[in-house]
Amino acid sequence: MSYELRIYPVNKILQFFFTCVTLLCYAVIQKGVMTMSEELISKKDLLELAGISYGQLYRWKRKDLIPEEWFVRKSTFTGQETFFPKEKILERIIKIQTMKENLSLDELADMFSPNIKNMEFEKDELIKRNIVSTTVMNFYMENEKGGQKFNILRMLEIFVLEKLLQSGDINLDEAKTVLEVLKANTQSIQQKSCDILITRKLGVSSCFLLVNAEDIYVEKGTKIVSQVSLMTSMEELKAKLL
Amino acid sequence: MDTKVREDLEVNGFGASNGGQFNHVTLNGFSTVNSDVDCVEFKSNGFGTVNGNVKSEQFKVNGKAKFKGTIESQSLFIDGTAKIDGNLHAEHVKISGKISVGGRIKSDEINIKGTLTVEEDCEAEIFSAEAQFNIGGLLNADEIKVQIYGTCKVKEIGGQIIIVKHKGSFFDSIIKPLFTAQLETDLIEGDKIDLENTIAKVVRGNQVRIGRNCQIGLVEYSEDFEQDKKAIVNKSVKI
Repeated sequence: MSYELRIYPVNKILQFFFTCVTLLCYAVIQKGVMTMSEELISKKDLLELAGISYGQLYRWKRKDLIPEEWFVRKSTFTGQETFFPKEKILERIIKIQTMKENLSLDELADMFSPNIKNMEFEKDELIKRNIVSTTVMNFYMENEKGGQKFNILRMLEIFVLEKLLQSGDINLDEAKTVLEVLKANTQSIQQKSCDILITRKLGVSSCFLLVNAEDIYVEKGTKIVSQVSLMTSMEELKAKLL
Repeated sequence: MDTKVREDLEVNGFGASNGGQFNHVTLNGFSTVNSDVDCVEFKSNGFGTVNGNVKSEQFKVNGKAKFKGTIESQSLFIDGTAKIDGNLHAEHVKISGKISVGGRIKSDEINIKGTLTVEEDCEAEIFSAEAQFNIGGLLNADEIKVQIYGTCKVKEIGGQIIIVKHKGSFFDSIIKPLFTAQLETDLIEGDKIDLENTIAKVVRGNQVRIGRNCQIGLVEYSEDFEQDKKAIVNKSVKI
């Protein structure tokens, strides 16, 4: 390509320069926005990348292995197309593919659904399966004063406590507060996607239950000690139980 | 289900009752149940109405019936006409006649001869129909076998095997200008697709066969593509 040198009036050149800068800034902002929101993948690319067929994808959708919210419809030049949040869907597909060898699709669906199935385990069984350590179990029994049988909800509570205490993020007093919060909100925990959040400011700690929260912001000086998603914990727990 | 303590409910002639838990529920004549019903066997002969949800193991309608709520049953047979305002969850569905569902259908096996109207999605493992249907959402089934009668409309179709056929008869050729038998949809996606008399914007699949009287905007295929002489395909792309 060859360029001709022409002499433009100065104001024209300046105007061109400013337009360029504006465009550049705009491009930068656009890029920022793009990376802020989740990266999407089209259905076609997803099938190719994951090596699955339309039949499989639709079957998994029917079995509720892929949540309805992940099907994002967008209009493209060929008409409407479906997109998925890339990271989430790929992670889910890998999970399904690795686990479907041992489990039926219905069992998998139970695992991914936040609804709670009727499962009960004995206290010793949980310790034996390495889901809970003896110390945490004793602490839990002391504070909760429940029976020896654990339904899935109590298992989730103790599993979350185990996770938090073993990581060393919280101490026993804080664990008591966490347990209180979990106990008081069993209804939401069963139905919605919840997070447990523990903050500390000037040595005073508090515990929150976030229901369907996207982002949280805390004031300066407050430290988020730990945030645990109950939904993921439930999946981990179910994977350990099955 | 504890069935020992349950009584039967039978309404004959022109009557009404409240719902509740029953063993057998039989509605004969022009009868109404005014609240939710939980039973082992539900049967409506004549003109039955339930102003609530029905939960049962076996569900049968002969004649005409109306349901204000959702229906949950293992098997569901309809000979005649049924109108369901809510959702329909049943493992086996067999319909001879007409059914319209205000919500969605979730099932294992759907077998329809007649007319089907669904406002939202329709999901099943096997969907076989010799019918005229109208589905507002996605028709999602592992195996979709459809013989179309009249104008069928679906927003989208997805599954593994999708076969759409039209059996042309002599009678059809006479009244063809009045009633065109065709299936209209935006999108068809499946592994194996075999179409006839279909109007679709986009068809995507591994093995795609476009038969007679089809009008397809775009075909995207990964293995095979076959097109009938009497079909119109604007564009076909191998991926």
